[in-house]
Amino acid sequence: MTNGLGLVTIRQWQQHKLRLALTIVGVALGVAVFFAVRSTTRTLVDSLNSTIEKLAGKATLQVAAGDAGFPSEYLKVVRETPGVALAEPVTETLAETISPAGEKLLILGLDTGSRLELYSDMFDEGELVVSNPLAFSSRSDSIAVTRKFADRLGIKDGDKLTLQTQSGRKDLIVRGFFKSEGGGEVYDGNVAVMDIFAARETFGKGNRIDRIDVKNTPYVEVDKLAEDLRDQLPAGVRVERPSLRGQALENTVSSMHFGLTIMSFLALTICVFLIFNSFSISLNQRWKEIGILRAIGVQRRGVRMMFLGESALLGLIGSIIGIFGGFFLAMAAIRVVTRVSTTMYGVVTTPQGLAFDTQFAIEAFAVGMIVSLIAAWLPARAAARLRPVLALTNVETRQSEQGINKARIVAGVALVILGLLLIRFTRVQVGMNIQLFYSVLMQIGMIMLLPMFIRLGGRLIRPVLGRLFGVEGVIAVESMAASPRRTVATVGALMIGLSFVIAHAAFIQSQKAALDRSLDKTLSSDLLVSSSEQLLGRTYHFSEETANKIAAMPETAIAAPMRVTSVSVGGEEVSLSAHDMDKYFASSPNLLDFGDPALARAATARGEGALISTNFSLRTGLGLGDRIQIESPNGTFELPIVGMLDYFRSEKGTIFIDRELYKKYWNDSDVDYVFIDAKPGVDIAAFKQKLQQLLTGEHAFIYTHEEFKGWVTRLIDQFFTLTYLQMVIAVFVAAIGLVNTMVISVSERRREIGIFRAVGGLRRQVAEMVMLEAVAIGLIGLFTGAIMGLFGAYFLVQTAAKVVAGFTVELVFPWWIVLISIPFVLAVAAISAFVPAFNASRIHVAEAIGYE
Amino acid sequence: MTKRYQSSDQVVALDCVNLNISRGERVALMGPSGSGKSTLLNLISGLDEPTSGSIYFEDRALDTMTDNELTLLRRKKIGLIFQTFNLLPTLSAIENVSLPLRLDGKRRRNADKRSTELLERVGLRERLTHRPDELSGGERQRIAIARALVFEPVVLLADEPTGNLDSQTGAEIIALLDNLHDEFGTTIVLVTHNDAAAEHCERKISMRDGRIVSGNGSLTQ
Repeated sequence: MTNGLGLVTIRQWQQHKLRLALTIVGVALGVAVFFAVRSTTRTLVDSLNSTIEKLAGKATLQVAAGDAGFPSEYLKVVRETPGVALAEPVTETLAETISPAGEKLLILGLDTGSRLELYSDMFDEGELVVSNPLAFSSRSDSIAVTRKFADRLGIKDGDKLTLQTQSGRKDLIVRGFFKSEGGGEVYDGNVAVMDIFAARETFGKGNRIDRIDVKNTPYVEVDKLAEDLRDQLPAGVRVERPSLRGQALENTVSSMHFGLTIMSFLALTICVFLIFNSFSISLNQRWKEIGILRAIGVQRRGVRMMFLGESALLGLIGSIIGIFGGFFLAMAAIRVVTRVSTTMYGVVTTPQGLAFDTQFAIEAFAVGMIVSLIAAWLPARAAARLRPVLALTNVETRQSEQGINKARIVAGVALVILGLLLIRFTRVQVGMNIQLFYSVLMQIGMIMLLPMFIRLGGRLIRPVLGRLFGVEGVIAVESMAASPRRTVATVGALMIGLSFVIAHAAFIQSQKAALDRSLDKTLSSDLLVSSSEQLLGRTYHFSEETANKIAAMPETAIAAPMRVTSVSVGGEEVSLSAHDMDKYFASSPNLLDFGDPALARAATARGEGALISTNFSLRTGLGLGDRIQIESPNGTFELPIVGMLDYFRSEKGTIFIDRELYKKYWNDSDVDYVFIDAKPGVDIAAFKQKLQQLLTGEHAFIYTHEEFKGWVTRLIDQFFTLTYLQMVIAVFVAAIGLVNTMVISVSERRREIGIFRAVGGLRRQVAEMVMLEAVAIGLIGLFTGAIMGLFGAYFLVQTAAKVVAGFTVELVFPWWIVLISIPFVLAVAAISAFVPAFNASRIHVAEAIGYE
Repeated sequence: MTKRYQSSDQVVALDCVNLNISRGERVALMGPSGSGKSTLLNLISGLDEPTSGSIYFEDRALDTMTDNELTLLRRKKIGLIFQTFNLLPTLSAIENVSLPLRLDGKRRRNADKRSTELLERVGLRERLTHRPDELSGGERQRIAIARALVFEPVVLLADEPTGNLDSQTGAEIIALLDNLHDEFGTTIVLVTHNDAAAEHCERKISMRDGRIVSGNGSLTQ
């Protein structure tokens, strides 16, 4: 019997090739996105880890203290700790070249006088290849580059390499080369080595170093040595295995991973809808056939297995295609992800060839199969439960589908309300990912309500389309509303796709509005000078002298310097903002959302208090009046929290302390930003020009208040590149669902269309009818998508933003996007229905009427 | 005319048939299954095309007409009644009947008025807003007849209109067709297996294996 049923299925495939193709595309798309996301994430993580490991060389431990570095005196402490075989000081600087122009170069400052044993991968026989070793180490303008970098740019021994440094342009001479292996491999070979003393001088690091690479003696366990070193060093200086540092970087990009994961689940959800849609249609197309099979003795189980077997086979084919498609998709995605990581998080990566991961392939395959079977389960069950007598009756009877199920409506409404209540009234906890399921509750509720929306929507649209397009409009709406089985999956796919677009557009807009408000409060100065074009750029810093020069300008009323770095709190890298607090409050008097501004200003300016961002408060549970422990390279200190503000620089939170306190504990007087208030009556444009002249040669970017806000908005857009990509995918998949439905609708209604033609319907009128049905589906999809989008946006700002980053954001719902979506959805609907409509208008009437 | 269907063996559905039907005639087409009755009806209504030969409707060859012209011919001058009713399941009785009028651009109010009259005429005044699946087979066929008559067509082509009905309902439908013929003078071509139904026609044509075997009278070869 199984063989017989297999034959019946194959005959169906031969007759409905397009449905078959669209189902396979549905599975393939879901699997492809899933596989691509997994592969991209893994490649990025591998790349981060590989970068850390390659730069660490043979080191088993690394001593580091964030991007501000720590005093070089600790090198002696480390070297004298028993169990340390080797300890090498390192500085890391990401610099831009002026000549040759536009290259980014990771410059490692190493003790070139030593044997560099830890980095033997990078250097031939443990040494740099230099023509004049004496000149290299004795002259501070010496630099060695990888052979790859030198070959690519035609750099020879003795050539000049001009770099942008924080104290202006600096000419260096290439006096050595090393292999593009190990540490020389990272950043696509854009790596250079200078002697550590020269590097510190060139890049204004003073007495600080960025890390110490440590190798243990064979007789001491690495973890034991790490513990000993931690005992010797202040808490702000971290001692970790290189692999753990990689993990810390993984945490940094965790929200991007979260976005990618959401994307893969979205694709899979829509994939379920497509397959469900396809099998529901298949059920309708094969109604009579199933009746006949049941009548000649096929058991319910046999019918169910026929459907599930078909879905398993389609799942198999779709999954295999999806895995290969996903591999190519990942190749494109990895570029975007790497760019976002570098721009947004300042993370340096090593180009990593995308390897085909068999484990991911197996996982993706399993997901494809499971999704196919789940999606086909309900249609298979319905097919198995079909009463043969009903199935064999004629078209008028069999098209009548069950009306709206009241229990389902009650359950749907209850789930939506429950989701909304949970979002509104439960206390959100950062990292409590289970709270993300509130959105799933609402989605399930909305899906349960879809038949009701379709019926109600049909009633509303019917008279409108009837008035506008006559009987074709009426039949189109009736046809849609009378077949919820066919329509629900498409409206569902459209609803999910559009709600995703609308909710995320709302979230992005809300985020931008919150940021705008925050920038107005925290940055109300006339001008801002930044040392980097990146949000978390760690390449350049200004010297304090530069800030003083700005302060000394006659136009300047207030020049408040700021240094941004990070500090570890509870294992998380929290942003640390060091301001001249008195000036900062003077420049931005409405800074605080919680706390007394006058008291906070006085306490922080004295170095006797700290401000925290509200997301840090939500993450840690600390609030006004609590005391916070801050670990610095010079020891741990404690401050009371005297103010809180909404601030979005870091998803892990931000701590604000006074600059003098920072300088004391970090031995770092660098400056990243200078907030400038001009004296009354000063022409800001002219002042900006004068500043530009003053800072010629510096790596400085000067923004007015509005320009800075624009720049931040652009950065946000960059961050949401992936979300925009997801939106495109969501709409694309929903459009495929619509094409699928219209193809099937035409095929299913062949006889109806034949009747329509037989009683005098013109071809044009048939085409119009099919297009109008797509439009009606599109409108209901948009309506439900807008409702779900509103709920989704509420969930994103109220729950997701807090669970993921602790951000407090007010909902700004972009009604404009709903309005813009109307013509867009109508156009997508019309385009999707064009070919099915054309085919419908060409059907052979006599055959169609005889069609069963 | 001849009609062949393309398949591995060419099936000859109609083999050199020559037939003339006069205005106002009632003709019964009879014969066993596969004799070509329904094919002939499809060709007359322009739903299908003959492989060779021509069909003339009011002196105009159907093969010279465009698809739109053929469609308008079906809409206004030919009423079709099927064994399986062929109503649109999503439309109510009145909407099914007024469909050809609405397709022709008639105002809804006028179309509904005309449809109501016809549904009253076929005894379905109380069933105007019912959908096909809420009605009996006889009632569905009455709707199909009302729809076929909505433009007062010149010709009514009925393909086994009583085939899906019990004998009493079938007799009522035939009586209804008789009355409509008397009232409107419509030409009726009735494909039927039912001798009793055929008795209501002036001319009975028997077909077998795609040929007319008897009853073509003086008007055929």
